[in-house]
Amino acid sequence: MQTDSSLPAGIPRWAARRPQVTAAVLRWRNAYRRNGARLVLVVLLTLLAACGLAEIPTTGLILDWLGRNVIVTVLVATCLFVLSTSRRRERAAAEAANSWLSPLPAVSPVSLTVMWGTAVRLLLVFAFVALACLLRRVDATAAWRLALALIGGAVLGSLAGRQLRRGAGDGAPGFHYATVRRARARWATRPSLLPLAYWPAAQGRIFSRPKVLSRAAFTALLTLPMGTPGQVALAIAAAAIALVSVASLSLAAVRVAFEAAPWLAPTTLRRARFTRAMVWRVIMTQALAMAVMVFLACAIDLPKALRPGVGLAVGLLIVSLAVAAVACAWACRRAGLGAEFRGASSEGRLAA
Amino acid sequence: MPPDPTAVPNASAALQVSGLHAGYGKQIVLSGLDLEISRGEWLALLGPNASGKTTLLHCIAGMLVPSAGSISICGRSLRQDALGAKRQLGFGCAPERLPGLLTGRQCLEVYAAAKSLDAIDADVLDLADAFAFTVMLDRFVASYSLGTKQKLAVLLALLGEPALVVLDEAFNGLDPASALVLKRHLRARVSAGRCGVLLATHALDVVERYSDRAVLLLGGRIARQWSREQLEALRAMPGEGLEAALAAASAAS
Repeated sequence: MQTDSSLPAGIPRWAARRPQVTAAVLRWRNAYRRNGARLVLVVLLTLLAACGLAEIPTTGLILDWLGRNVIVTVLVATCLFVLSTSRRRERAAAEAANSWLSPLPAVSPVSLTVMWGTAVRLLLVFAFVALACLLRRVDATAAWRLALALIGGAVLGSLAGRQLRRGAGDGAPGFHYATVRRARARWATRPSLLPLAYWPAAQGRIFSRPKVLSRAAFTALLTLPMGTPGQVALAIAAAAIALVSVASLSLAAVRVAFEAAPWLAPTTLRRARFTRAMVWRVIMTQALAMAVMVFLACAIDLPKALRPGVGLAVGLLIVSLAVAAVACAWACRRAGLGAEFRGASSEGRLAA
Repeated sequence: MPPDPTAVPNASAALQVSGLHAGYGKQIVLSGLDLEISRGEWLALLGPNASGKTTLLHCIAGMLVPSAGSISICGRSLRQDALGAKRQLGFGCAPERLPGLLTGRQCLEVYAAAKSLDAIDADVLDLADAFAFTVMLDRFVASYSLGTKQKLAVLLALLGEPALVVLDEAFNGLDPASALVLKRHLRARVSAGRCGVLLATHALDVVERYSDRAVLLLGGRIARQWSREQLEALRAMPGEGLEAALAAASAAS
């Protein structure tokens, strides 16, 4: 293979015009050098999991059905690839614009990134179908028809996905899921820490964006055995959504505590006030989500679920409160926010 | 030599740093640094990259715990009376540390509430107007440009009439008009004796024209100082000036 003297060893000359490709190859190579054993282990475990999944009789039945109903397969694949292509295109464009390599006079990496992503997805699905074929869970004819249908769906979906414009937000990733709260023309009559409470709530909305919630509900529904009554399935999907929302808020409180504490460290804000401002809105929102969940359980006539549901809700709220409070205390200590921690920390260090 | 813990800090000084040692883990950044700024004085902190300027500012803001030494703001020890010391401090945080998911107005209100103010200072609102920042007040900080974030960081630092204003590269990203507004505003505050300013910067024109004193930080210590008269003399030298003096001082060290 011909190489350029200015390129790192092992990188072909054509990659010189595509620094993103060179950087990606080097990133993977470095990752392998640093954590080669771990990477191999992950690949092996993934293979093992794929084998296990392919061995399940239901998988064979589904693949066989998809192979026999080509039109449905093409339609489903088209829809999935439209979504994934448009999403990846948006993300790749944003990354390319902000990348450290963007000022270079190089070919735009967006199309290549999107095509590469489509190809990798297709190859993974083909590999899985081939595995199922080898394990005799699906016959060769159905596997071929399925592969061709997937290729058709991928081509159609990719072409349509390129044309689809998505509502991209500017600024921080995902922040279009949060809206400006209490926008007003005047100042508050007295400044308060109230806006600080919106921060973890907004971060929580970004964490539990529609994509994440729908995946949670979908995963929960997939785990249900066949023949589960509709009301139970709905209740479980709703519970999954509520739990993800609650967990997202707790996670947001922890993250925001560590971001807000250094920002407010030069002020005279006390730890208790900081914790109260960070926590109260999170807990109120979580309590509301729990109340809706319990109400739904009552509404669809699941009396057995009511008592454990209420217990679980209260327990989760207590855990969430404890987690947020500990995170705030830790963040304050680390950032030097509040006199009590500042003094103790200095004493400790000076003594050491 | 460790500082005498019984020593009474100079209450008239806006900032008094003595025998300061600080670092990150085993890496020592500041070793035995002494510094004093009085009210009505603008001190420029100069030094090459990684010389410890930001570390010193973080120690003064209470964001980094020094391993030894003392810091007093208006006579209040940051170690023994952290709240009292911080009440006198206005610190301009790095623009990337501003909360992306709050609006500019919310940031100002949170800071004002954290400093227990009854209202946002009229002075700061006037400066926001002069910065043409008012139209950005109700937008998320995440959508701000670097210069706009810098303006917000400066406004936050000036809230509550602090006796000591500490700014780190505050002119980075500011357009020339806004930079001029800020220089004049800080100079007016300093000249009126309302505060002392500690500005870490590489902008030598600001140092030559606006500061009262400049210090060069090298190897965790102050290697050289310039008084106002010396700075004016350097400004008057054709083709030379502070840039050459800095290079000479760095080479000599």
